[in-house]
Amino acid sequence: MTALTMPARPDEDDASPRPVPWRRMAGVTWRQHRVALGCVAALLGALAVWLWIAGTSVHHAWAAATACHPAASPACQDLANTFNGTWDNMSIPAVLLQVVPAAIGAFVGAPVLARELETGTFRFAWTQGFGRWRWALAKLVPLALVLAAATAAFGALVSWCYQPYAATGNQALGIYGNSPLVTVPSLREVTFPAWTVAAFATAALAGMLIRRVVPAIVATLAVYAGLAIAAAGLLREHYLAPLVTSSANVPGAAWLISQWWTKGGRLAFAGNPPDSLLNQFCSFGPGPSSKGGAPASPGQTFAQCLAPHGYTQWTSYQPASRFWPFQWIEGGWLLALSVLFIAVAIWLVQRRAA
Amino acid sequence: MTALTRPARPNSAGDAALRPVPWRRMAGVSWRQHRIALAGAAVLLGALAVWLWIMGTPLHHAYAAAIACHPASSAACQGSIANFNQSVENHFMGSKGTGGVLLQVVPALIGAFVGAPVLARELETGTFRYAWTQGFGRWRWALAKLVALALVLAAATAAFGALVSWYYQPYLGTGNPALGLNENSPFGDLFSLREVTFPAWTVASFATAALAGMLIRRVVPAIVATLAAYAGLAFATAGLLREHYLTPLVTSSVSPPGTAWIISQWSTLDGRFAFAGNPPTSIFNQLGPCLAAGNGKPLAGGFPQQLAQCLAQHGYTQWTSYQPASRLWPFQWIEGGWLLALSALLIAATIWLVHRRAA
Repeated sequence: MTALTMPARPDEDDASPRPVPWRRMAGVTWRQHRVALGCVAALLGALAVWLWIAGTSVHHAWAAATACHPAASPACQDLANTFNGTWDNMSIPAVLLQVVPAAIGAFVGAPVLARELETGTFRFAWTQGFGRWRWALAKLVPLALVLAAATAAFGALVSWCYQPYAATGNQALGIYGNSPLVTVPSLREVTFPAWTVAAFATAALAGMLIRRVVPAIVATLAVYAGLAIAAAGLLREHYLAPLVTSSANVPGAAWLISQWWTKGGRLAFAGNPPDSLLNQFCSFGPGPSSKGGAPASPGQTFAQCLAPHGYTQWTSYQPASRFWPFQWIEGGWLLALSVLFIAVAIWLVQRRAA
Repeated sequence: MTALTRPARPNSAGDAALRPVPWRRMAGVSWRQHRIALAGAAVLLGALAVWLWIMGTPLHHAYAAAIACHPASSAACQGSIANFNQSVENHFMGSKGTGGVLLQVVPALIGAFVGAPVLARELETGTFRYAWTQGFGRWRWALAKLVALALVLAAATAAFGALVSWYYQPYLGTGNPALGLNENSPFGDLFSLREVTFPAWTVASFATAALAGMLIRRVVPAIVATLAAYAGLAFATAGLLREHYLTPLVTSSVSPPGTAWIISQWSTLDGRFAFAGNPPTSIFNQLGPCLAAGNGKPLAGGFPQQLAQCLAQHGYTQWTSYQPASRLWPFQWIEGGWLLALSALLIAATIWLVHRRAA
């Protein structure tokens, strides 16, 4: 494979040399990374089979629970309990699946550059006629696109599987439900591929900087963990300015960010009332549905005994209708980060002394 | 480093015997070759320990405040108890919290990333041709490395497991049911992260990685194979094996202790098996009048208690098989024991392969 291809009929006028076409790199990329991509396919395939089986039973339980009338009858309550019980089985996988984007990105991305540097084969690969930065670009972008396509399909499956837990009518029926904004937010159709490609780009850059495969994998996992914790704990609730309401009935599927109380227009306290106010204004007798008389949902009952004394409860929340804007915002900044990391990696490939 | 050491005074009779290279020489070699991996494991465990300490101190304070509050039925005390119970359910490190579940991957990661390169890196880069032809002998070299690294990992993770147990202790709130504090079974999801099981799982992962490295002869595929094998073993243990370490106790009492680990429930009628778990629809319909009558005065336990009472009125006996919380330490030692046996077997197989492989 050389940069200049001599035409077969040299006496023709078209004697200008033609560079090697980009599509030649597709075969090279496949040949060098087929085992990694095969393992990714096997992993996603096995998880997809399990999600399909588990999701079908979840959907059946939810359909039975929501179709049952009247909702307060014992038989319908039993169906509701059965559906709520399925969350016990699905909550742990919801957490464990979050390591999948990190693992895929790290194990596919780190060897792309680090393996060449570690084994010294870069001296061969980068002196072929294709040119070193074009070689890096032609490897990183198709691999990222393949990973994005596979994980986007998988993210759609995850969304389908967890959709009953994020349905907007659940809390009205008394069954378990949560805001779609907090139900596996990083594993959906847009964010799953975005996080995977971000991990892949991080791994490629780490591989170029560290020049060893296993340390690059470890560094990628560490950076990914930091980024995921920052996104979940700090960034995600601020993608759009939260709505604030003083109504006691926040929409059921909203994501509650924080609550605070004011009196006379000034902040009184945040979160739960202090003990002094509780002792002064609230007295709890034996409650209907709890042992020992503690309020079943403290926020609700505190409002009932504090509101007559001039306290107003405020809630800041994100409505469920903002699910898709949040997905695109998160996908967008992760994509920008991935593009930046891949650009830096390619720039380093070009600048590194041979 | 040669196997034969010539004595400095060749005339002295006692020194004329050939002395093999002492085992302790391998400690320096193991440290030199694996210091980065061990340092990485130390940094990871250290960071997690700091974080557990920071999260656990206010949790212990809240727990102490909740149980020390008098009088227990006052609004303020009930508020602090309710706050603590809420934090148990929602806490990041709770048994179903994000942190608690993700902590389960730490033994797998430490074992895989420390264990796979021990043999696989030598084979992948070809340096085994040098390392195994030094005077120390190839299987003694492998044994010295694997056992020393396994012991270091076991010590570090046992200390971390003690910290996890300290952190988890308020959730297990035994002895305070009268206060309405939540009680959780110690057999929950953090069972494999305690003082005995954390090092046991880490060493098992390490041994799996060493054997995988010897079989696959490439580092990164060995890491992936180890993680896959560990995942399979962990799920099989949690789902199938753990509940059978000791024969579960069976009781017909309607409320087994709150800290017990419920294995299964079933009902019998006149001594014959009726149904398992919840009643089928046909029996539910029979209970309709009884359940509707109870709606005016709900019981303390809520719907399950109502259902149990109505079933009892119709002649059903409910049976529960469970593991009491007092069996925590026997279970820890049983699980640690079979994991240790598995690790010893895997390391022995690895050393045998090192011995047999053609140079």
